Amino acid sequence: MVKIGIEIHQRIDTNKLFCNCSSTISDSAIPNSIISRKLHPVLSELGEFDKAALAEYQKNRIYEYQLFDKNTCLVETDEEPPHSMNSDALMIALQISMHLNCKLVDEVHIMRKMVIDGSNTSGFQRTSVIAMGGYIETSKGKVSITQIAIEEESSGIVENKESKVIYRLDRLGIPLIEITTDPDIKDAQHLVEVAEKIGLLLRATGKVARGLGTIRQDVNISTEDGARVEIKGAQDLKLLPTLMETEVKRQKELIKISGELKTKFNGKITIQRIFVNITNVFVNTQAPMVKNGIANGEVVYGLRLQHLKGILGRELQPNKRYGTELSDYAKTAGVKGIIHSDETLEKYGFAEQETSSLRKTLNIGDNDAFVLVIAKEDVAKRALENVAKRCEMDFVPEETRKANPDGTTNYMRPLAGKARMYPETDVPPIAIDAKLLKEVKENKSESLDEKKEKLAKILNKEMAESMLRSKNLQLFEKLLSLDVDPVLIANTLENTVVSLRREGIVISDLEMVMIDLFTNYKKGLFVKAAIIEILKHVSKGMPVGEAVEKNNLGKLSGAELQKIAQENNFDIAKIMQKYRLRIEPSDVAKLKKN
Amino acid sequence: MPIRPPQPKGCGFIRADANVAKATLRPLSKGQLGGQSCVNSALPPKVKTMSFRAELTHEIAILGCGGTIVSKIEYKTGAVFPAIDPEEIKTAFPKIETLAKITTKQIFSLLSEDMNSSHWSIAGKAVMDKIREGVEGVVLMHGTDTMHYSSAAMSFMIQNLPIPVIFVGSQRSSDRPSSDNETNLLNAVYAAKQNFAEVAICMHANTNDDYCNLIRGVNARKLHTSKRDAFKSVNSPPLAKVNYISNTFESLTDMKKREKRTPKTDFKFNDNVAMIYVHPNIQPKFISKLSSFDGIVLMGTGLGHVPTNPFGDRNASPVIKEVKELINSDIPVVMTPQTIFGRVNMNVYTAGRLLKEAGVIGDGCDWTPETAFVKLSWILGHTKKIAKVKEEMLTNMIGEISERSIVVD
Repeated sequence: MVKIGIEIHQRIDTNKLFCNCSSTISDSAIPNSIISRKLHPVLSELGEFDKAALAEYQKNRIYEYQLFDKNTCLVETDEEPPHSMNSDALMIALQISMHLNCKLVDEVHIMRKMVIDGSNTSGFQRTSVIAMGGYIETSKGKVSITQIAIEEESSGIVENKESKVIYRLDRLGIPLIEITTDPDIKDAQHLVEVAEKIGLLLRATGKVARGLGTIRQDVNISTEDGARVEIKGAQDLKLLPTLMETEVKRQKELIKISGELKTKFNGKITIQRIFVNITNVFVNTQAPMVKNGIANGEVVYGLRLQHLKGILGRELQPNKRYGTELSDYAKTAGVKGIIHSDETLEKYGFAEQETSSLRKTLNIGDNDAFVLVIAKEDVAKRALENVAKRCEMDFVPEETRKANPDGTTNYMRPLAGKARMYPETDVPPIAIDAKLLKEVKENKSESLDEKKEKLAKILNKEMAESMLRSKNLQLFEKLLSLDVDPVLIANTLENTVVSLRREGIVISDLEMVMIDLFTNYKKGLFVKAAIIEILKHVSKGMPVGEAVEKNNLGKLSGAELQKIAQENNFDIAKIMQKYRLRIEPSDVAKLKKN
Repeated sequence: MPIRPPQPKGCGFIRADANVAKATLRPLSKGQLGGQSCVNSALPPKVKTMSFRAELTHEIAILGCGGTIVSKIEYKTGAVFPAIDPEEIKTAFPKIETLAKITTKQIFSLLSEDMNSSHWSIAGKAVMDKIREGVEGVVLMHGTDTMHYSSAAMSFMIQNLPIPVIFVGSQRSSDRPSSDNETNLLNAVYAAKQNFAEVAICMHANTNDDYCNLIRGVNARKLHTSKRDAFKSVNSPPLAKVNYISNTFESLTDMKKREKRTPKTDFKFNDNVAMIYVHPNIQPKFISKLSSFDGIVLMGTGLGHVPTNPFGDRNASPVIKEVKELINSDIPVVMTPQTIFGRVNMNVYTAGRLLKEAGVIGDGCDWTPETAFVKLSWILGHTKKIAKVKEEMLTNMIGEISERSIVVD
C-alpha cells in the first residue's frame, strides 16, 4: 500500500512577513549592491554544536547576498531586528486556515528553524504554526490537514560554488502559507484532486500571489517495504501522477535489486573501501573529461564494486539507472558525476588499452563493477565513500528528492529529522484573542463553495467552472462592479483575450485596459462586436477612447442610426452585414418597433 | 575677548615616524591560523623583540562585562540575557585558541545600559590587575549600548598604557548563526597582540563579515541602533583595519606603540554630572534646577549654542542667564556638539560669544558629548576647583581633542 501526503507552500500577496518591503521579485539581474557574510554554528542551550552546522562551518564558505533597493532593507540583510509580523499576511493565513476547517492556535509563537546553507541571512527561517486539525472534502472522502504554518520565503540562489554561494535577497521574507496534509491521499488521481482543490481554495481568496514559483508542492510518498520519500519542488500539478508512479516503480525496483544483491553477498552487502588513484593509467589520455581534469590538478580515483556488474545499469526511472543514484550521492561530496562500468566507456573517449589497464589496476573480476571519479583527492575519496555507503544500503533509504520536469526525481539529501527549532526572541508571541478572531471571521473571504454558487448565478455552468479556475477571477469580480453584462466580461477575459494572444497580440496591463474598456462600453462608446478590433489597437499602447475615435469604431446612434435604418428598410440582417462593428442589432430592433 | 581657540596641551600619544609603512604587521607563527594563507606575510614585521613577558607568552586576557556578545536565550521570558561563562567562549569560538593563549574572567554580567561609573572603576581595576600580571593585551567583552562611554572612561582611568586594551561587542545577538560576535571577537584578540598601546573599540567596519575597525576609545560613537558597523570614529580616522584571517593590521593613523611603561591610574568618578540635550522650548527653570549637580555637559545646537536671544525677539526664551548662574556658583558647564561630528566654535555667532563670556568650557574642542561627559565626571572625581577642572578639561590627554580637523569621510 502506498501512503501519500502533500505539503503546499503558497506565497501570500502582501508585503513581506517581518518588514515592509514589497514582495515582488526584481526584474533586474544586476543588484544595487552586494554584501558578504559568514555563518557560524551557535551553541545550543545544552552547550552543543549542531553537527550539520559544524560541518558546513568547516567548509569556510562565504555567502554573498545581492541587494535590490526596492525589495530589500536592513531586515533582509539581518542588520535590524524583524518588525512585528505582517498582520495582513497573518490575517489571510488565519482565514485560509478557517476555510480548511482548522482549529486556530491560541497563541502564535514565532520560531527559528535552523538553516545552515546560507539561504537565510540570519542562519534561520522564521516559522509559526497557526492552525491544526482541519480537513477538506474530496471525491474519495475527507483528507485531514495536519497543520498550517506561516513562514518566510528563503533567498533565491544565483550561483553555488564550492567556496562561495550567491543568493539574491528580494525573495527573502515573502510570506508563505504552508499547508500539510495527513497521508490520507488514496492514489495519483486523488493526489491531483487534493492539490488542485487546495490550490483553488487558496486562489479563490484572492489574497495569494500568482505566477511562476508562487506555489510549490512537496509530495510525501511511502510504500510498503519501501520508505518515506519527500519529493520537493513540483510546480506543475499535471506532473504529480507521473512523479508518484515513477517513485513507486523506483522503490519497487530498488527492493528487487537489494534482494538480488543480498543473495550475491550472502546476506550483508559490504563494499571494500579500496580507493585507488589510477591517474597514471591516463597519462596520455585523449578522453576530454579526464584530460581537462588532470590539467586542472585533479586526480582519477577508482573503486571496485564486487558482484555489482549489471546492477549499475539497471533502470529505476526512465533514463535513470542505479548508477544515477550512486552519482547523486557522489555529487554531494562535490564531484560533477561518476563514470561506471555499466556505461559505454567509449562515449568518454577512453582508449581500449586504458580501459583494460584500469580494470587490471582495480582488479575487476567478471562479476564486478567499478566507479571512477575525477576531482581533487579529498573530494574524490569522499565521493567514493558516499558511493560505497549507498551500495551498502540494502533497503530503500529515506530521502528528500528533487522533482524534474519530466516526472523523474534526483536525490538531494537524507530526509530531515525534526529541524532544530528555538524561539524567535525578537518577536513576542501573538495572542489570537476574541477580538482578533472576530476580525478574522468578519473579513473572511467567500469560501470556494460560496464563490461557486455566486458564479453559477451569473454565468452558465461551463463558464462558471472555467472562471473559478481562471487567473482572471479577481479581475472578473472587480469588473462586475462596472455593471456590465457578466457574460460579456467573462467572454472577453477568457476567450477574446486568449484568442488574440494566440495571434500574437498581447495586452500588457490587462487590468487597466479592461477597466478602460468596460467603462467606455458602459458609456455606450462602442458595440460588443467592436471589442476585438479595439483591443487590437489598444495592444499597441493606445487608450480605448483614442482607439475607437481614430479607427471609426464608435457606436452609431440617434439620427445617424435612424438614417441608416431607414435607408435599409430596417432590415437588421442587411444592416449588420455592413455595420457589424458599429451598430447594436437590438438598437435597430428598437427603432423598428417604434 | 580672545578670539583664538585654546590650544589643547600635551598630546598623550607618540607620533609615529613619518616614513613608517602603512601596514604594521606581526605575522603569526606557522600554523596559527589553521592553514589560512597569510596574505601580507611577505611584508617585514615592524615589531622588535621586547623584554616584555607578555610578548613571549602571547597571553590575551578576556574580561567579561556582559552584553550581547555573550548572551543566551532566557527561555522564561523569551528575551536574551548576558550570561555565558567567559570560559565557554573557548568552546563557542574554537578558532580563538589558534590566535593566542586565552585566559578569561567574568567581572560582571549585565547589559551595558545598566552600567554606571562604579562599573567603569571595577573594570579599570580588573584591567590594571591584568597589566600587572603581564599579559600581552586585554579584551573586554561589553554591551554595545554604552561601550563608547566605558572605552572613554578606561582611557582616562589608565593612562600611559603599556599594552592594548580592546573593547568588543556584538550588534546581532550571539544566539544567531549570523552574529557578528565571532568576527569581532577574533579580530579583537588578534588586534590585542599587535604593536600599539591604546584603549580601542574593535567592531565591524561595514556590513560584511570581513575586517573590523579599531577605533580609539575616546573617539568612538555608536551611531546606529542595530547595524554591525554602528560604531564610527568621530572627527578622526579609525586607528587601524584589522583582519585576522588575512593576517593584516593596517594602521590608518598615528598610534602609541607598545612599550614597558608604568600606567598612571585614577579610578574615581563623580557620578553627579548631568548631560543636557539643548532643544527648542528648553525651559529656563529646567536649567536653574541643575544647580544640584557638580557638573553639566551641554549638547549644544550647531557650533555649540543654547538659546540666548541676542536680538530680543519677543517670543524667544533664552537660558543664558541661567547658564551663567550655574557657572557663577562654581558648577563647570561644558559645551559639546549635538551634531556629533565637528568642532565646537563659540566665536562665530553671538550666542557662542555670550556662552564663552559666561565661562562655558569647550571652545575649539571636537570631542564627542559622551567623551566630554566621561572626562568631566572623571576630573570631578579628583578635584572640584573650577580653574583646575577647566585646565584639565581643555588638556588633550588621550586624543579626545584633535588639533587638526582632518578631512575624513
